[in-house]
Amino acid sequence: MIMEKHDGFMKALKCRECGREYPLAATHVCEFDFGPLEVAYDYDRIKKSLTRAAIESRPQTMWRYRELLPIAGAPTVGCQVGFTPLVKADRLAKRLGIRELWVKNDAVNYPTLSFKDRVVSVALSRSKELGFKTVACASTGNLANSVAANAAAAGLKSFVFIPSDLEQGKVINSLVYGANVISIKGHYDEVNRLCAEIAGKFGWAFVNVNMRPYYAEGSKSMGFEILEQLGWRIPQHTVVPMASGSLLTKIHKSYQEFVKIGLVRDAKYHVHGAQPTGCNPISAAQKAGLDFFKPVKPNTIAKSLAIGTPADGFYALKVMKETGASAEDVTDDEVREGIRLLAECEGIFAETAGGVTVGVAKKLIASGRIPANDSVVLCVTGNGLKTLDAVAGHVGRTRDIKPSLREFEALINSEAELAAAI
Amino acid sequence: MATARKKKKPATKNGVQATRLWLMYPPRLIKRPVVWELSHQFKVVTNVRQVSVTDEIGVVCLELDGERSEIKAAIKWLEKLGVKVEPVEFNVIES
Repeated sequence: MIMEKHDGFMKALKCRECGREYPLAATHVCEFDFGPLEVAYDYDRIKKSLTRAAIESRPQTMWRYRELLPIAGAPTVGCQVGFTPLVKADRLAKRLGIRELWVKNDAVNYPTLSFKDRVVSVALSRSKELGFKTVACASTGNLANSVAANAAAAGLKSFVFIPSDLEQGKVINSLVYGANVISIKGHYDEVNRLCAEIAGKFGWAFVNVNMRPYYAEGSKSMGFEILEQLGWRIPQHTVVPMASGSLLTKIHKSYQEFVKIGLVRDAKYHVHGAQPTGCNPISAAQKAGLDFFKPVKPNTIAKSLAIGTPADGFYALKVMKETGASAEDVTDDEVREGIRLLAECEGIFAETAGGVTVGVAKKLIASGRIPANDSVVLCVTGNGLKTLDAVAGHVGRTRDIKPSLREFEALINSEAELAAAI
Repeated sequence: MATARKKKKPATKNGVQATRLWLMYPPRLIKRPVVWELSHQFKVVTNVRQVSVTDEIGVVCLELDGERSEIKAAIKWLEKLGVKVEPVEFNVIES
């Protein structure tokens, strides 16, 4: 691995709007037009170092693609993250009426069972390189858990800001790691603005604010893994859940980067976006043919996708337009049906965002926007154990009996469904 | 290369601070000179940095300089008017 330069394979931070370049520091907004900053790489050098053989010789974690991840040296946080299974989902494919279907299963990502471990391990590794001792985030779920866990393992102090009405289970998932959890009372917008103010005022690595250019790049590892696990090829269709829209843009970027450095052959592909109908600013805009979104007030069981003013919404719309893709959204009932379908067909229990992805894929296939003879990858980003409340009361029922064989036999005989299962 | 700051650094002197916001106007407010009104009602310096206006939505990236209390009051006024006010980062709270 070529590592002679201090900044690794990064060249600069670059404004996505005007292209101005900035030093590789903890900063995230262009001073001229307030456009978001993104990491620019030295692809000529990466091409010499990152070959298929080099990748295949490395441990099976997200860091096997580290030349394309924004850290200068070796990773120091989350060294075991990633390389989650890409499951060939034949039973689900049959149910949805598609020739070839794969599920990229980040429901089993290490250590906190969501794709956020990818972005957080990148953000925290980079934070340590920049000399930070304290990391922070504002979150209602997966991100908080991941920051708390990865910071604990790395010996970093952590602050997690949450809205005061958050469910107790989600709070415990951060408190257990010793994070300083600060619960803020107030309307969502007020809490959001306060968190942004705190991020600007204190000298911390706020993972999704001043560390965002690095943090967001971690999502690319999901795309890199899909390409390698598919046998170094690009799937014709990828369905990605959208909250801020960042993951969709980074999956697209990962495909482009592998093409650029010659690891996969260029091919036509479509990156489709999935949202819940109760929070669909991006999919509504895409369906209306707009290149901007209108803010919405979220009202959905898919809490992990409930962002009414998505920061990367504009860029996600652009990617879908560029790749000839579609967006779609699904109701809460369709989300639950998607969760059940994935669980019953493939034994994968996804959180609500996974139900959104499956539900949207079903719609796109049924409407022919994903043709039945094509191949598709569904991105599942979190574990169903985290959103049990969303499906409680909707996934069948227990049959209660006394400890009596006679009673069990009577039950079997009374229900055709049970009798058929024998 | 800028690295971690060890101590809290005040944004500006005398409680004055610079705040960067995205304002999103509903169609009914697109023709109204909201930024002009704001600068006359509150002791803040306004600096428009980016604008996009269509029939359906107006989006303004605005920098506000002033006392913290004055900026907070200005934001409250905007929200009461029906303008959605987001920090420059949009949603800081993620799942």
